[in-house]
Order: sequence, then C-alpha cells, then structure tokens
Amino acid sequence: MCGARGDAWGRPLPQTGVVSMVYTQSEILQKEVYLFERIDSFNREPMKHLKAICFLRPTKENVEYLIQELRRPKYSIYFIYFSNVISKSDIKSLAEADEQEVVAEVQEFYGDYIAVNPHVFSLNLLGCCQGRNWDPAQLARTTQGLTALLLSLKKCPMIRYQLSSEPAKRLAECVKQVITKEYELFDFRRTEVPPLLLILDRSDDAITPLLNQWTYQAMVHELLGINNNRIDLSRVPGISKDLREVVLSAENDEFYANNMYLNFAEIGSNIKNLMEDFQKRKPKEQQKLESIADMKAFVENYPQFKKMSGTVSKHVTVVGELSRLVAERNLLEVSEVEQELACQNDHSSALQNVRRLLQNPKVTELDAARLVMLYALHYERHSSNSLPGLLADLRNRGVPDKYRKLVSAVVEYGGKRVRGSDLFSPKDAVAITKQFLKGLKGVENVYTQHQPLLQETLDQLIKGKLKDSQYPYLGPNTLRDRPQDIIVFVIGGATYEEALTVYNLNRTNPGVRIVLGGTTIHNTKSFLEEVTAAGFRGRSTESSQVPPRPSSRR
Amino acid sequence: MACGCPPPFGDPAEVREGFLCPLCLKDLRAFHQLQAHYEQEHSGEDRDVRAQLRNLVQKAKRAKKKLLKQEGDGRTDSGCQERYESFSYGGIDPYMWEPQEVGAMRSHLSDFKKHRAARIDHYVVEVNKLIIRLEKLTSFDRANTESTKIRAIEKSVVPWVNDQDVPFCPDCGSKFSIRNRRHHCRLCGSIMCKKCMELVGLPLASKLTSASKEALSSHTSPSSSPNSVHGSRRGSISSISSVSSVLDEKDDDRIRCCQHCKDTLLKREQQIDEREYTPEIVKLYEKLRLCMEKVDQKAPEYIKMAESLNAGETTYNLEHANDLRVEIQRVYEFIDALSKKILNLGLHEEPQPHPKTLQLQRMIRYSATLFVQEKLLGLMSLPTKDQYEELKKRRLHMAALETHRRQEEKQKDSTSRSVAAVNGDASHLRKGTVRKSEGWLPTSSVSRQCEIADPLLQQIDNITSFIKQAKAANRLDEVRMLQENLRQLQDEYDQQQTLKAIELSRKQAEEEEMQREELQVLCEKEWEREHHKFMSQHARTHSLDFREVKQHQHEVAKENQNLIAHGLDLDITQMKGNPSFETTAVQQLPAKEYFIFPVKPQNVPQCDKDQNRAACLNPFEDEADTPLSEEDPANPFAKDVSPLISFSNAVLQSDKKEYNPFETEEDEQTNEASVSTSNPFEEDEDPCQESGGNWNSGNPFEEGSSTNPFEVEDGNEISEEEAIEEELLLQQIDNIKAYIFDAKHSGRMDEVEVLTENLKELKCTLAKQKEKSNC
Repeated sequence: MCGARGDAWGRPLPQTGVVSMVYTQSEILQKEVYLFERIDSFNREPMKHLKAICFLRPTKENVEYLIQELRRPKYSIYFIYFSNVISKSDIKSLAEADEQEVVAEVQEFYGDYIAVNPHVFSLNLLGCCQGRNWDPAQLARTTQGLTALLLSLKKCPMIRYQLSSEPAKRLAECVKQVITKEYELFDFRRTEVPPLLLILDRSDDAITPLLNQWTYQAMVHELLGINNNRIDLSRVPGISKDLREVVLSAENDEFYANNMYLNFAEIGSNIKNLMEDFQKRKPKEQQKLESIADMKAFVENYPQFKKMSGTVSKHVTVVGELSRLVAERNLLEVSEVEQELACQNDHSSALQNVRRLLQNPKVTELDAARLVMLYALHYERHSSNSLPGLLADLRNRGVPDKYRKLVSAVVEYGGKRVRGSDLFSPKDAVAITKQFLKGLKGVENVYTQHQPLLQETLDQLIKGKLKDSQYPYLGPNTLRDRPQDIIVFVIGGATYEEALTVYNLNRTNPGVRIVLGGTTIHNTKSFLEEVTAAGFRGRSTESSQVPPRPSSRR
Repeated sequence: MACGCPPPFGDPAEVREGFLCPLCLKDLRAFHQLQAHYEQEHSGEDRDVRAQLRNLVQKAKRAKKKLLKQEGDGRTDSGCQERYESFSYGGIDPYMWEPQEVGAMRSHLSDFKKHRAARIDHYVVEVNKLIIRLEKLTSFDRANTESTKIRAIEKSVVPWVNDQDVPFCPDCGSKFSIRNRRHHCRLCGSIMCKKCMELVGLPLASKLTSASKEALSSHTSPSSSPNSVHGSRRGSISSISSVSSVLDEKDDDRIRCCQHCKDTLLKREQQIDEREYTPEIVKLYEKLRLCMEKVDQKAPEYIKMAESLNAGETTYNLEHANDLRVEIQRVYEFIDALSKKILNLGLHEEPQPHPKTLQLQRMIRYSATLFVQEKLLGLMSLPTKDQYEELKKRRLHMAALETHRRQEEKQKDSTSRSVAAVNGDASHLRKGTVRKSEGWLPTSSVSRQCEIADPLLQQIDNITSFIKQAKAANRLDEVRMLQENLRQLQDEYDQQQTLKAIELSRKQAEEEEMQREELQVLCEKEWEREHHKFMSQHARTHSLDFREVKQHQHEVAKENQNLIAHGLDLDITQMKGNPSFETTAVQQLPAKEYFIFPVKPQNVPQCDKDQNRAACLNPFEDEADTPLSEEDPANPFAKDVSPLISFSNAVLQSDKKEYNPFETEEDEQTNEASVSTSNPFEEDEDPCQESGGNWNSGNPFEEGSSTNPFEVEDGNEISEEEAIEEELLLQQIDNIKAYIFDAKHSGRMDEVEVLTENLKELKCTLAKQKEKSNC
C-alpha cells in the first residue's frame, strides 16, 4: 500500500541502541525507514499508511505494550522481531490481540546485546552484582544477552569459568541451562574444535579499569565517555552547537576506524595529515569561483567536502579536548605513576611518586583517589604499607569522603583475598624471565606498559595452558585441542584496554577468533559506580573521623 | 551534518542544503536555476573574465584530468594497504574471519497465525452476525412503519433479554425503575440504561451493510420484513407507551444498541474507511519512488555513455547522451519538487498536523535530497561538441601512437634484448622483492618515518607535528603544554642516545673482533677450497667446449655444496660477469676474449674463483645494476659492473647463440637470480663476502646482510652445539642487540621481529644456564 515505514520501538532504551550502533541515519533512510517511535510513547498518531517494524526485547512490559498496540493498531502492517527467545504463551496472547490481522511477521532475531566493535559487545548493564552475588534480574538479563550472542554467532560453546568467582559459576550454569533447554536452537553445524565461552569476573583484575588510557578509543571513553558510540562534548569550553554530541563509529568513520587503537601521539600526527588533506581539498573561499567549471567542481565536491569537514572538525575537537584534559589534569605524569604502580614492584619509589602527585594541585580528586586505590590494591599486604598515610593525605587535600571510602571499597572488591590469580607478582619461571627481560629491554612506552590480566589468561588459553584448576569446565567434557573460537565474557564489565588486547591477540594469532564481552564497557568512573552499586561501601579507614558522621564500618 | 555520521533521528533541518549558490548562499531550487542564477548575478562582477570563460573551462578540465590521473596513481600505491587497514579495523582479519553469517532466527509466525486464526474466526463471526442483524433492522422503511411493527421486527431479529432478569444496568450498575427505564440493544438483545445506550445512525448502518454486502456477497440478504407497510406511526401508541416514548421518538431513525456492539461496528467502519482512503502523502510518495526507480535505471546507462564519450569513443551518439542527461536531470528536478511538496503537506492547514507527521515528511524530504545529491553528482558532464571532436582526434592519435609503439617494442624485443630493457626489468623485479621483504605496510609517509625511528623519536616527531597543528588552530595553551612535553621527551631521548651510543660502540668493537676471527677462519677455508678446485680443474682434461666448462662448474659447485636448483645456469652467466668485476678493466678485456674465443684452460679456475666471489656479492651487483653513473666513486662495485656485464652479456648472446640453445632462459634467470635476495646461495656465502675485505666499508647493504636471519641462526646452532657457554651466549645476545639496532635504523621491522624473538630465546637459555650454574 505504501512504501513508507514507521518503526515502533521497544523498551527499554538500549534497543534503539542496538540498531543505532550498527546503522546510520542515512543508511536507515535508504531502506525507506523514516520514523522511529517507542512503543511506550503515548500520543502516537495513527498513520495507517505506514508499515511498522517492531524490534523489541521479549520482556513482560514490552509484550503488554505490543498487545495494546495490536488491539488498536496505528499502522497498517506490523513486522515483529524479538531480540531473544519469547515464550509460547506470550505468542498466544499476542496472537489473540491481533484481531485486525495486521501482523505479517513474528520472529526471534537474536540481538540482545550491543556491538561496540566487531569483536566487542556489551550489555550496558551497570551494577550487576550485589556484593559477591548476582542481582537476580541482572543475572537473567545477562543470561539472555549472552545466549542471544551465542545464537547470533551460531555458536554452541563449551563453558569455562573462573573458579574463584561465584557469579561466574552462576552465569555459566544459567547459560548452560538455556542451551540445554533450547537445544533445538543451538543445534548448529559442528566445528572441528568446539567454540569456548570463558566467563571471568572483573574483581579478578580491578587494576585495568583504574588506569588512564592512551589509545584513542580507550582514552575517549576514559576522559569523555562513550555511550553507544556517542560522545557528549557539551562540557567542552567554547564548543559549537553542532558538536555538542558527536558520533564515533568505526563503521562509517574511516579515520576513527584506522586510528581507534593507535596511541595519542600517533593520533596527533594522523590528525594533522587529515587536516592537511582537508585543507588541500577545501575550496578557497576568498578566491572567486571564476568559471562555471570551478563552480561545478565545487558543487560536485560539496557533499564530500561537507562530510570531510564533519570528520575533521569532529576529530580535531575530540583530540583537542583530550589534550586539553591531559594538560589540565597533568595526566602524563599521573599515568606514568599509575603504570608504575600497576607494573613494577618498587614500593618505595611508588610510594614516593604517589605522595608527590598527591601534593600536586593540578591532579584532580578522582586521579588522586585512583592513585591511592592502585597503591592500595598493589601493596595491600606489603610490610611497609602506608595506606593510612596516603588516605590522610587525601583528606588533607580535601578529597571528598566518597572517594576515600571508595579506596577501601575497591580493595574489598578486588583485593588479594578475592583474586583468583595473581595480578602483580609473576608466579612461574617463564613469567619471571619475561619480567626480567622487560626490565632489560627497557620500556617502549612508559604510558602503555600495562598489559591487562586478560592478555595472559587468553594467551594461556590459546596455548592450551590455562589451568583447569583455576578455570574449570562446566560439565564433564573438556577441550582437547587448542581453542579457535573464543568468547570471553567479563562479569562486571570489560574495558577498552582489554578490547585492544583482544584486537592484538586476534591479529597476532591467525586462526584464533576472540570475541570480548562484558556486562558493560568501563571507564574508571563507571567502574567505581559499579563497585559502589555492588554494595562495597568501604570502611572509613580514619579512626579520627568525626563521630556524628554515620559510620559505615561493618 | 557537521559530523560525518549524525546522531540518528536528529533533526536535519538545520543544515542548509540543496542548490546553494556558492557566492551568495542563496538557495535555488534546481541545478539549472543555480546555473542561470550564477550567470545572471555573478558573471557581471567580472565581465572581463567572462570572455575567457571558455578558455578557463578547458584549462580547468585539463587540470582536473591531470589531477585525476595522479590521484589514480596514488590510489594504486596506497590502495591495497588502505583496503587492508579498513578491513582489519576492530580486530578482524578478513582472511581469518569468515564473513559473519546471519545469526540464528526462529519464526513464530505459524504459531501466531494458528492462535490468531482461532481468535479471528470467533471475532469475524461476531462482526458478521452484528452486520447481518443491522441489515435486517434497516432493510425496511422505518419512517413509515408502525412502531409496534418495528418492535416486532426488532424482536424477531434478536431475542430480547427478559426484563425481569436484569434489575441493574450491567454497564453502570444503576437500578432500573419507572424513571430509569430498560433499553434493549437491538443488535444483541441485552439490556442497559439510557445513559449507557448508544445509537447507530442509518447512514452508518447502510455504509456498513453495503460494504459487507460487497465483501460477503455470498451472504443472502435477510428475508421477511414487510417494508411496504403504510400508516402513520404517530397515531399508534405502544403498550408501554408513556411520556417517555415521546422522547424516544426522535431516535426512531436510529438503532439502539449497546456500547459493545457500537464499538465493534465503529472498528469495522474504520477498517472500511482505511481500505478506501489513501492520504495525499502516500500518493506523492508513490510517485517519488517511481521517479527514483527510473533514475536507478537510467543513470547507469547514461554513465556508461558519458564515459565512453569522454574517452572519445564513437560507440554512442553525443546528442542522444545529451537527451538522456536532460531527461535524467528532469527526473531529478521532479524528485526534488515532489519531496518538497511532501515536506509542505498540510503545513498551512488548521489544525497543524501531528508533529510526527511533520517529522515523517521531513525525513522523506531529507532522504530524497540525499538521493539526489548522491546520484546527481555521480553524473559526469558530457564534452561539448568541439571538445568531443578534439577527443575523438586525440583518441585516434593515441591509438596510432599505441600501435606504433607496440610495433617498435616488438622489434626491439625480437632483434636484441636491449641492455636498458634488461636492466629496467631487473630494477622492476628488485623493487618487487624489496617490497615484499619489507613486510610491513606503510600507512603514510609520516607514519613510515615513525616506524623507522625508535619510539621516543616517533613520539617527538608526533608531538612536533602536533604543536604545529595546535599553533594553526591557535590553541596557545596546548602549544605550551606540548612544547613542554616535547622538551622532556627530547631530554629523555638525548640521554638515551648517549647511553646507546656508548653501548653500541662497545658492542661494535666486540662484534668486529669476533667477526674478524670468523673471517679469518673463513678465509682460510675459502683458500683451501679454491686450492682444491684448482687442483681438480687441473686434473681434468680441458676441452674448449663451453659446455665442458659448465659441467666442470657444476662439479665445482657440488664440491662447494652450494649448488641450488638452477645454480647451474646461473653460475655460467655469473662467470661471464665476473672477470669484469674483480679485476681491473684492462684485465677484463683478455678475459672476455677468452670467452669469445675458445676458453683457455688457465682461465677457467680463475673464472671459477671469481664466480664464487661474484655470487656472494650478488646483492651489490644488483644494486649496481640499476645504471648508476659509471664514474660514481662512492660505489666501487657499481663502477664497472653494469656496462661490462651488459657487454659480456651482449657478446655472449651473439656468441653463444650458435651452440647454446638455452641462452635466453639463462639470461632471464641471471636477472632473476641476481635480484632475489633470498637466494640461500648468497646468504651462505655471507662470510665470504666479508672476507672480500669490504666489511668495514660502512656500506648499508652490508649492515643489512649482517642481520641476515640465516646467519644468526647459524650462529645459534653453533653456540648451541658447543655446549652453550655462558660467555658465548652473552656475546651473541649483544650481537643480536646490535643487529636489532641496525635493523631498526634501516627500517626492516620484520627482521627486528625475528631478531627479537631470537633474542628472547637466547635470553631464556641464558637464564636457564644461570640457574643451573647457581644450583
């Protein structure tokens, strides 16, 4: 009847994210999709000349909304897609609501997750655990997300999990349960080596999300925050109106695609090239267009020029803001000390450096707090641990109580007691030699010496050396060959540094395909929120605390 | 949009687009209007220029063509690498990751349909029942029927619920009484109070019934109902008649029914309405799509034509193409106009359309503009008539030239392989191999520099560029910050450099010493070998046949165990080149004579020896092959090699043709062999090369060859075989470190990698060793 289509969108919001992460507006327009609506928005005008595509998560509310919608359809035809498994009874009640026979399609189309990079996905869930246990709703959601991923990748994996983490075990069991229940769905063509799902817990490596990052994507997320590929620049001083919010998407921004894993300095030079290239193409405004040909050329180049100017101004703004923040917050120095805290074992020098930076007025409260957190995590059991002193320093600086409490909260969250593997001191001869060699070779870049724990875990996994005692299989079957398809899921959120690690592993290990996922993608701020949400409020470490303040000591 | 990919669903209206005049930014509706506008408004500003317009147009076109060509070249250069880059972003190697299939899906449609069918059947029956009753109720002339009769008919259609059974209104719950009387739904017979009663007007009823008659023509129209009953209803008073019946009277041309039935009927009506009604926007949109399809059909056709015409071909007719162009442009204008119409639909009406409708219209307009922009700008222009003539001429000319050249080339090829051509080939090949061996893909000139330098330098470089950029952007605070950063880096770098230099010099000294030792050993070996050869040579009977020499050579090579697959052919040609190489020019002449004329026995061993040497020096030779200036004193090898080789080649070719049928092949092989740096033969002989006394020449090639992985491995093996002494290990480690440094300096990153691997191994073994000794 009509080519135009309206889209009714499901709740909750992330669903729009699923699509907008993958398609741009113009791409969607090309498919004759002109309108986006949320199914829960009232006051939608009936437009009977439009067809609707509904893409929603099969939650109770969504099904209810859909039933309401079908009772009084506002569009001519409905194509309904669920992003996950929907129950038979829900289908029945939907069918009974469709008295006007407007539904043309009902399908499960598994996409209950957000594709961040081609090899990274997120569920955008914050605060998935309460203490050391799952929030039941979040567990259900995570299971759904993870199974949807498996279905969309057509993988029916063997599952390994981190023994030291109770949530990891629970999730593994839940996923297994779904696989068993929906065995028909998971009946894919067998590969020679079955794929592997490895479930890890963030608390095993609380260091990585606390570090400042220097590769483009990670840095942008750390300093500005990436939310579904969008970056909020509204706080940038003197920002122009159309740059308040920009989109960084590797899908259709070539510069970003080529530079997202490069470090800050490289970005600098590349952006300079981009500028030069742009300037070459930029028509000289002062110079009059002298002939029709000139003008034609101008018009012909216009859209390309516009797109390019968009890219240039976007990246220049972003990088400019990054470098402003780096300077303002003294991040080079901070990061150097952070890396030292994360990678080296020299207590006295580390302590000295932290002390020095705590005195530096340019260092922000957050950075100061995170330095102390890193110190606390690393030298938790060190004989001459001087954490109280540092906390006192923090207080003297006027760092709010919130941050100071977080220090002990983070230790509680990811301290030695919790960790299944050793973050700091290498355990076997190979690792010792490695570290020794590192010392010999000298560090290539002081700001990027840290390698997340994930690197080693995956490395061992690829080599078939990952210990069953630490990462047991769920069920009796074990993998005899080296794994080829690996899906790593980090409960409590992955980081872009880990995304980079996986990217590099994929590149250096041909034949191995790793996909990284997490309940969310963290930067330091969101990680600290996660810690707080998990209920680790931290003990107030200072005994000299003013009595009236409600003590959260447990 | 200012940012390359706008946030989805944002409002595109703020961006000015369309046909804006670049000078006054006036929005013009269409391309031709813009053109006209420009000519009217702006050409006056530079009238004198106008006279030269034609000239300029042509000039601009030519310049553009040149540019395009350059761009094309540039693309081929960086193209493959760019493709690689953009494919491999985000951790996916397109060669390792198969394209992702569409994920698993499961359709519930059949299930859904089953449930729905059950439900719908029920619903449809309900609706149809109502409509049939409605038809019965309206099929007689209500105005002229007595109300008692009407009542009777109404009661006959549907059995009425007994009054006594319903004491309260089922909808609102109010008690029925004299005041609050019961009313029956004429469609289902149920009872409700007056307040809850609905009325169906006759027009609606007839609309519904007529529609259903069409739809359900199979349904027989209700029988009975005498519709010819006359008489005034006014007079008759029904049994229940009272005052209130007067109130009822005005409802007589409407049918009472309950809310439920009314709802169902209204829904039905809506459906009927929708089926018939197509809003304006749909009509326009359909037209728009039609136009777009037309463009999609015609544009490729036109582009094909235009390309061919612009190339000066005569396959298509210029006028015809012009017509097509005009046609397509018209369609574009039509699309533009249509989408504008859609945009403005209902804008001036009251009340204003729903904001979502407006958004829909805007989006359609936006997508149409995108479409036009994308496609229209892809339409290349056609040459004017004059230009076309010129193009045709040029093409003819080019074609002639082409054939001419081809002929010439053929001639050249057939008569003799010109030296230049051979050399050219060689250099071509060399380029190829060098490329390959580089192994990494340069991202850009700058980043290439980055790769070469060590990380600190790289950073410094980057920051310098960054400063420039910041300066350009007038961000002084950044500049300051960066400069500070830069200074720190430079300090660091200086420090590092001095340290490195000290270390390096120490290492070099060690290394040199070691290598000298090695050289000595090798020299001795070499000498022995030669001696041996010499002896063997003498032991043989020397035929003057060239083939004999070959044979002999073969044997020698075997003795040396350096023979590779086609070493045989290679050796001979090499040999030819050799005399020219080591000995002075004067000496070479006689040597050549020996070749041309029957070879004298004494010469053979010498040649042989030279051959060895030459082979090992191959890498130099091929560098030198690219004709450098002969007098270039900087390159001692290049000096006489190229002319002489070519000379000897030429001589040989003419000479050998008579009795060597493999000559051409050989020739090619020589070139190939001399090109391929991976020739194991050469690499095995590396030490020999050093024995040539040119080790200290500081020649960069030499440094490169010293980092040769083969050699390193050799060293490894030896050291491992020799029970791995710690000192040796240490030495080796130092050596490799130096190699890495060298390799880094000359930008061979792949080698660096190999070497680092090596280094790691060595260090591991060293660590083990230490552990052992400690235990």
